[in-house]
Amino acid sequence: MCFAVLTSFASSATAQQSKPEEYQVKAVYLYNFGRFIDWPAIANKDDSFTICVLGRDPFGAVLDATLAGETIGDKKLAARRLGSTLEASNCRILFISASEASRMKQILAAVEKSGVLTVSDLPDFTISGGMIQFVLRDNKVRFEVNLAAAERAGLTFSSQLLKVATDVMR
Amino acid sequence: MTGGMTMLTTMRRAYLGALILLVVGFNLGMNLPVAAADSEPSPDPQSSQGSLKQLSLAQLGDVEVTTASKAPQQVWKTAAAIYVITQEDIRRSGATTIPEVLRLAPGVEVARIDANKWSIGIRGFGSRLSRSVLVLIDGRSVYSTLLTGTYWEVQDTVLEDIDRIEVIRGPGGTVWGPNAVDGVINIITKNSKDTQGTLFSAGSGNFESGFASVRYGGSNSNGLSYRVYAKGFERGAEHHFDDEKYDRWRSAQGGFRIDWVKNDRDSFTLQGDGYDEGAGETVGLTNYTAPYSQVVTGTEYLSGGNVLGRWTRTFREGDDIQVQAYYDRTNRYEPNFGDLRNTFDVDYLQRFHWGTRNHISWGLGARASQGHELEVTPGLYFSPSTRTDQLDTAFIQDNISIIPNRLTLELGTKLLHTNYTGLQLEPSGRILWTPTETETFWGAVTRAVRTPSDAERDFYLSGYIGTLPNGTPYFARFNANPNFQSEQLDGYELGFRHLFGSRLYVDLAGFFNEYYNLFSEDITGSPFIENTPPPTHYLLPAEFGNGLQGSTTGGEIAPEWKPASFWTLKGSYSYLHMVLRRGPGSQDIGTAPIVEGSSPQHQVVAQSQFDLPKHFTLDLTYRYVSALRSQNIAAYSTGDARVGWKLTHHFEVSVVGRNLLQPYHVEYASDPAPNVAIKRSVFGQLVWRSKEN
Repeated sequence: MCFAVLTSFASSATAQQSKPEEYQVKAVYLYNFGRFIDWPAIANKDDSFTICVLGRDPFGAVLDATLAGETIGDKKLAARRLGSTLEASNCRILFISASEASRMKQILAAVEKSGVLTVSDLPDFTISGGMIQFVLRDNKVRFEVNLAAAERAGLTFSSQLLKVATDVMR
Repeated sequence: MTGGMTMLTTMRRAYLGALILLVVGFNLGMNLPVAAADSEPSPDPQSSQGSLKQLSLAQLGDVEVTTASKAPQQVWKTAAAIYVITQEDIRRSGATTIPEVLRLAPGVEVARIDANKWSIGIRGFGSRLSRSVLVLIDGRSVYSTLLTGTYWEVQDTVLEDIDRIEVIRGPGGTVWGPNAVDGVINIITKNSKDTQGTLFSAGSGNFESGFASVRYGGSNSNGLSYRVYAKGFERGAEHHFDDEKYDRWRSAQGGFRIDWVKNDRDSFTLQGDGYDEGAGETVGLTNYTAPYSQVVTGTEYLSGGNVLGRWTRTFREGDDIQVQAYYDRTNRYEPNFGDLRNTFDVDYLQRFHWGTRNHISWGLGARASQGHELEVTPGLYFSPSTRTDQLDTAFIQDNISIIPNRLTLELGTKLLHTNYTGLQLEPSGRILWTPTETETFWGAVTRAVRTPSDAERDFYLSGYIGTLPNGTPYFARFNANPNFQSEQLDGYELGFRHLFGSRLYVDLAGFFNEYYNLFSEDITGSPFIENTPPPTHYLLPAEFGNGLQGSTTGGEIAPEWKPASFWTLKGSYSYLHMVLRRGPGSQDIGTAPIVEGSSPQHQVVAQSQFDLPKHFTLDLTYRYVSALRSQNIAAYSTGDARVGWKLTHHFEVSVVGRNLLQPYHVEYASDPAPNVAIKRSVFGQLVWRSKEN
C-alpha cells in the first residue's frame, strides 16, 4: 500500500504496545463478515471458506493467524493471495488491496456474478459498486456497506452487521 | 572585561567539546543499533488476534488503532505544492516559536527581524506583516484586515500540542480562505483526546530567558474530552550593534479545548485562548517641528483572545457538513498607533458525492471585523477611525474522477465580496495524474486576489524626507486612497512526486506567477507649501497605489531519505526569481527594486534526525539563505542542533543550540532602528508527561 510505504518515515513514533495495528483489526473484521453474512446456497467444491487478498498484501501473517483453527458452519477458514481475478470465484470474501486502485472498476465487474463479498479500503469503493469499504474514524476502523450491490450478488447481511456500519447504501 | 569574555569563551568551547565527545563516543560504541521503535518484540500474533476476536462488532469498532498516518496521504493526492510539518519535526527542530518552525518548509522565507518580529513570505514578498499569505489556526484566520497581514508575535500555542502545520505554496485555490495569494499556512492542534494527562515543559538559556507551559487534559466515557493550558515566556534581546536592547519580549497565554463525539455522525469542538504580551520595538515618530523625525523605543502592549465553535456531521466517507463560528479580539497599543479589533466569522462547508465521478465541495463564509484606531502621534491616523470591514465569501469545487484513482480534474471558483470591492471571482483548475503507485504529476492554474485593507483606503501618514537649504522641512504625505484596488495574481504551477523504493521520496514543484496591480507608493502631485500646523513646511503628496506589476518564477525540491531505520535525512532547496516594474502610467517612487531585493533567491534547509541507543536523539539542521540585495544583507549559513534524552517514558530533557555557526548574523533590515543581529543561543529544556503520548 503506497501510503503505508510513504509513511514509514513520516514519523518515528515510539512503539504503541497497547494499540493494535490497523490491519490486525481489519483482519478480525473479515473473519466477522464471514460469520454475519449468508452466502447463496451454491454448490461449493471446497471444504473451506476462503478469504482472498488481491494485490499487494497489507495483512501478512496476521490474516492467517486470525483464521487459524476457526470454522464457519462446517467449513474451515483459509486465506489465499491472488494475483488476478481469474481464481476469485472460489473465494467467499475478496479483499481488494489499495495497490489495485487503478483497476478497481474492472475487478468489480469481473467478480460481479460470482457471489463474492468484495471488501476494500480504497476511497469511493462502495460508490463504485464495492460491497464493504473500511473507513477510519478517529483512528478507529469502521466500515460502510453498499447493500444494493451485496443483494445483487445474492448475499444476505445480518441486521447486527448493518447496525454497526457507519453508512448503508440501499 | 576581556578576561571575563575569554573565560566565557573557554567554558563554551569546553561545553561544546564535551557534547561532541558524548555524541562521537556513542557513535563509536554502537553496532548498527535498532531504533527505539523497532526494539519492542512483536507480540505473538495469534494471541493478540485471539483477544480481538472475542470482541463484539460494536466493541471492535471502538478499538483505537495505530495507522498509516494521514499526513502523507494528504500530500500524495493533493494537486498543490503542500508540505506538512509534523509534530515530530517540530519537537526535533528545537524551535520555540511558530515562525521558527516555519523555516523547515520549502518555499517559505523566514527572516527574524529581532527578538519579537519576523518577516515571513511564501515564494517572495516576505515582510513583517506577511501580507499575501493566509494564516489559519484551527480554522480561524489570524489575518488582520487593518493592514492585511499577520502579526506573528501574537500567534502562539503549546508547541507540543500542535498536530501538524500544513504549508501550501501558491494560491490556495478555492477551498482555503480569502487572501490566500502566495500561500496558506494552516496550523492544526491536536484533538483534546490526543492530549490527555499532564504535560509540563520548561526551559531556559542565554536568549530564551525562561519559558514554561503546563497542560492538563481529561475525558469521560461518553466521548467528551478536554484540555486546558497555560504558558509564559521571557525572551531576551538579540544582538544590537549600538547596545540599545529594546526588543525584549514577554508573554502569558492560556486556553482550552473541548471535543465531544456525540455519535457516529456528530462531533463538536469548542476552543479558546487568551494572551497578554509586551514586546519592545522602535518606531519612527514624525513631527512638523524639529526634530522632524525621531526614533523612539517603546513597548507594544498586545492582548486579546478568541473563542471558536465547530460542528461536524458526517453522513458517509466524503459526505459531510461543517459549521464553524468564531470571535476574535485583539488589542494592540504601539508607541505610534493603536488598534482595537473585534472579529466575528461564520463558515459553512459541505462535501458530497454526485454520481460515481464527482465529489463536490462548496461553502459560504461571512466575516465582520470592526476596528477602532487610536491616533497616538500626529502624522499617523486612520480616517474614519472606526470602521467595520466585511468579507463575504463563497466557493464551489468539483473533483472529477476522469479515470478512477488515476486522473482527477478539480474545477472550482471562489467568490469574494468586501466592503471595499465588488464581487470578485477567483477561479482555479487543477489536474492530478497518478500513473503508477509510486508517482504523481499535478498542474494548476489559479487566480487569486488580495483585497484592500484599512491601511490603503483609510490611512494617513507623513514621513520626513529632509530639510531644504533654506531650513524648511520637507515631508511626504501619504493620503488615503479610496480607489485602491485588489492586487491580483494569475498562478501557473506544476508538480511531481516520486517514491523510490521504500526509503527515498522526492517532491518537486515549479511555478510562474503573474502579478497585477501590486502595492506601490505613488507621487500624486508637485510639492506644495503648507502653513498649518506651523512652522511652514513643504509637502510631497503621495498615496498607496496599485502601480507595480511583474512576475515570479521558481521552484522547490524537497527530498526525504531514510538510509537506515534510525536515521532520516530531509530537506529542501528553494529558488525564486522576481521581476517587478512600474505599470503604465504609474508614478511609483521606485519601490520595485526594493521589493525584488528583499527576497532571497536561494534557500537551503537540510535536516538529519538520528535515533541513538539508550533513548538519545540527535537532530542537526543546516540552513542557508542567499543575500537580500536591496537591504545590503549578506547571504548567511547557519545551523541548529538538538540533543534529546528520554530518561524515562515520561521525562525528556534536551539541549538545543540555534544559529550556531556564527556568534550573530543579520537576517532582515530593521526599520527604523539599525539592523539587529540574531545571536547564537543555547537553551536546555525538560518535558514531563504523565501519559506517554
